[in-house]
Amino acid sequence: MERIITRFVTALRERGVRVSPGESLDAVNALALCGVGGRESVKALLRLTLVKNVNDIPAFEEVFDRFFAPAQPLPSGAAPADLLAAMIHIVEGEQLKTDAVRGHKEEGPTLLVDEEVTADELKDLMALEETEGETAGVEIMVKLDGFREKKQSPPSDFYMKSPPTTVAFHQGVTKSAVAPFTPEELSDIQEVVSRMLVRIRKDVRRMKEMENRGKLHVIRTIQKNYRHGMVPFLLSLRRKRKEKPRLVVLCDVSYSVSHASRFMLLLLHTLQNRLMHVRSFIFNRELAEITAMLRNMPVNCLLETIDRGEIVNLDDNSDYGNVFLTFKKKHLENMRGKPAVIILGDARNNYNEANEWALEEIREKAGYMLWLTPEERESWQRGDCLMDLYGAYCDRVEVVRDVDELSRMVEDLFYTLYDHHDTRIWKQARHRPKTEEPYDYRTYYTRGKTAAPAFDPDVRRQW
Amino acid sequence: MITEQEVTNVLRTGGYIADEAIATAVFLAIRMEKPILIEGPPGVGKTGLAQTLSQVMEFPLVRLQCYEGIDEGKALYDWEYGKQLLYTQLLRTQLDTYLAASANLREAVERLTAEESLFFSENFLVQRPILRSFLSEKRSLLLIDEIDRSGDEFEALLLECLSDFQVSIPELGVIPARIKPLVILTSNGTRMISDALRRRCLFLYIGYPEFDREVAIVRTRFPEICEALARQMVDFLRKARELNLRKPPSVSETLDWAQVLSILHATQLTPQVVANTVGTIAKHQADLEQVNDLARRVLAV
Repeated sequence: MERIITRFVTALRERGVRVSPGESLDAVNALALCGVGGRESVKALLRLTLVKNVNDIPAFEEVFDRFFAPAQPLPSGAAPADLLAAMIHIVEGEQLKTDAVRGHKEEGPTLLVDEEVTADELKDLMALEETEGETAGVEIMVKLDGFREKKQSPPSDFYMKSPPTTVAFHQGVTKSAVAPFTPEELSDIQEVVSRMLVRIRKDVRRMKEMENRGKLHVIRTIQKNYRHGMVPFLLSLRRKRKEKPRLVVLCDVSYSVSHASRFMLLLLHTLQNRLMHVRSFIFNRELAEITAMLRNMPVNCLLETIDRGEIVNLDDNSDYGNVFLTFKKKHLENMRGKPAVIILGDARNNYNEANEWALEEIREKAGYMLWLTPEERESWQRGDCLMDLYGAYCDRVEVVRDVDELSRMVEDLFYTLYDHHDTRIWKQARHRPKTEEPYDYRTYYTRGKTAAPAFDPDVRRQW
Repeated sequence: MITEQEVTNVLRTGGYIADEAIATAVFLAIRMEKPILIEGPPGVGKTGLAQTLSQVMEFPLVRLQCYEGIDEGKALYDWEYGKQLLYTQLLRTQLDTYLAASANLREAVERLTAEESLFFSENFLVQRPILRSFLSEKRSLLLIDEIDRSGDEFEALLLECLSDFQVSIPELGVIPARIKPLVILTSNGTRMISDALRRRCLFLYIGYPEFDREVAIVRTRFPEICEALARQMVDFLRKARELNLRKPPSVSETLDWAQVLSILHATQLTPQVVANTVGTIAKHQADLEQVNDLARRVLAV
C-alpha cells in the first residue's frame, strides 16, 4: 500500500501539487487506521491528508480519477506506472506548448541601456550628435534614455528636437489579442501580487517600528499602569498614524493598451483596502469610475463587462484631452488629500484637442504623477502621440513592457508614496541591516547645549 | 473505538448532517490527534461542526476568536502583574522577618532568589484559551475561529502548540498538554495561511452542500417543513447561488429562511412569499432585486 501511495504522491507532484513526505506518511497512517473502505472514503481520506490548498483540489480530483480509474480494472502494479508515464508525457507536452508561446511573445524590440553614462560623456555625445547628425541619432538617444532614467527629470528640449530617423517604425509591443484571463494566468498573477504584498508589508512594519522607537507617551503609560500601582509594566509609545496612501488611476482601455490595463486593474484591486485607497477610472473617449465595481464584482466578470463596451464605448478612439477635461470638471474637486495620480496609456490622442492645461491643473492637486506607457521611446514622436507634451507635466514617465516591469513599477511607487515621495530612505532602510544607536541617558540634560544642573542637596530638600 | 459511520450517526443526533469527507476528517482527527483546518465560504457550518462535536462528544468547548493583533498574552497565557504586586505588598512583613535572619545583603538576595518560583508559579498564571484546553481534566475541543484574521506572527506561535501540543513558558519551562485536545481551525480564506501551518493539519474544504444533503439539513432542523417545500427552497437557493450575488446565500441563510417560512406557515414558494421574506436570503440592496427577479422567473406558475 505504501508503494501505491508513494506513486500517487509522485503523480500529484508531477501535476504541480506540493506534497511533503510528512503528508504522505500521514496518508499511509490514516489508511491504516481507516482501512480501505469504499472509493469515496479513500478519496476523502487522501484529499484530507495530501491536499492543503483549495486551488489544488481540482488537480487532485483529476489525478485521482486517472490513477484509480474505475472503468478499466488494473491487472497488476504495472498499469499505474504506465498511466503515470502517459500523464507525465501529457504534462510535459503542455509545458512545451506554453514555453513555445512564451518564447514567441518575448520577441520584439528590446532597449539596451548603458547604465554608466556620466555628464561628461553626455556632452561628448551631444557634440557627436551635432557633427554626425542623423546617423548616430539612435544610439545617442538610447544612451540619453539611460541618463534620463537615472535623473528622473522631465524631458529636455534637445531630446525632443532629435528625431530618430534610422529606426523603422514599429507598433507597440503589447498589441495582443483581447482575451479574459485564464485561471492559470489569474493564479500566476495573484501569486506575483501576493508575494509583492508580503514583501511590502514587511518593509512597512519595519519602517513603522523604526519610527516609533523611543517616544514614550507619558500620560497614556500612567493610565495604562494604574492597576499596577503606577509601576510601568506596560509601555505606551507615541504612534504616528500614517494614512494609507491615496491613489487615483486612469487606465486607457482601448485595444492598443488593453493588456497592460487589465493587469493594472487587477493589481490595484488586490492592493485596494489592504495597503492603499485606490480610485480607479477607465477611459476611451469618455471617462468612467469603476472603483465600486472593482470592489463588488469578480475581476474576470468586470473585465468581460469592459470588453463588451458596456462601461465605456470601445469603438471610439481614445481622446486624452477630453478625458482630462472631464476628470478635472467632475472629480478633481472630490479628491481627498494629495493623491498620487497614475495614468496608463499610450498618449495617442487621435488628433483631438490636447488640453494639456487640464493635466497641469490635475498635477497641481496631486502629490505625484506617474505616466506608464507601453510604447517605446522611439515611437513617441510618431503620428498622434502626445507623450512629450503630456510627459512634461508628470513627475515620472516610464515605459512598461510586461507584467514584471509593471509590478516592479507599482512596488516602487508604493515605497515612494509611503515615504513622503522619497525613495532614498526606503532603499537605504531595505538594504542596510538594522543598526541601533545606543541611547545615552547621561546626555539628556546636555543635549540642548546647556550645562547639566549641578546636584544641589539644598534645592532637593525644598520639595 | 469508533468508526466513521458512528461519527456520522453521532453528528446526526446533534443535528449536523455530515458528508463522507467531513466524517472522515473528524474520525481521523480524533484517532490521529491532528488538528483540522476547515476552509470554506462563510455560513456553511464550519464553526457549527465544532459546536455540534463538542455537544455530542461531550468535549468541553474552548473557543479562541482570532482578530488582528492577537498575541500570546491573549491566546496562550499571561502573568497577573496586579496580583503579583498585591501579594508582594501583603507579604511585606513576612518577607521582612524572613529576610531578617540573613547576615548580609548578598545572603538576603540569595534567599529571595530561592523563593522566586513562588511568584512565577501557576498561581499567578492567567490561562488563556489554548493553555486552558491543554490543561483541562477532560478531553476538550479547542476551536480557533477565523485564523485568517490574525497575523503571520500568531500563526508562527501556533506551530509549536499544534504539532507538539505543548506551551513553552520561559519562567516555568515546557508545559505539555494533559490530554491532547481535538483542535479545529476555521478560515474564510481572506488571507493565505502559511504552508507550515497547513502541513500540520488535516485540510478540509466545506463548500455548499449537495442538493440531497441540504434538504436533509433543512428537514432535520425543521421537521415541520414538508419535504416538497424543502426541496423547492433548496432548489431556489441553489439557483440564487449561481446569480453572482455580492453575498450568496449559504446554509445558514437556508436555515434562517426555513425558520421564517415555518413561522409563516408557508406551504409553497411563490414570488409573493419570496418577496416578503427576501431579507433573510439576500443581504445587500442590489442582491434583493436580483433574487426577486429570479423568483418571478422561476416560480411563476
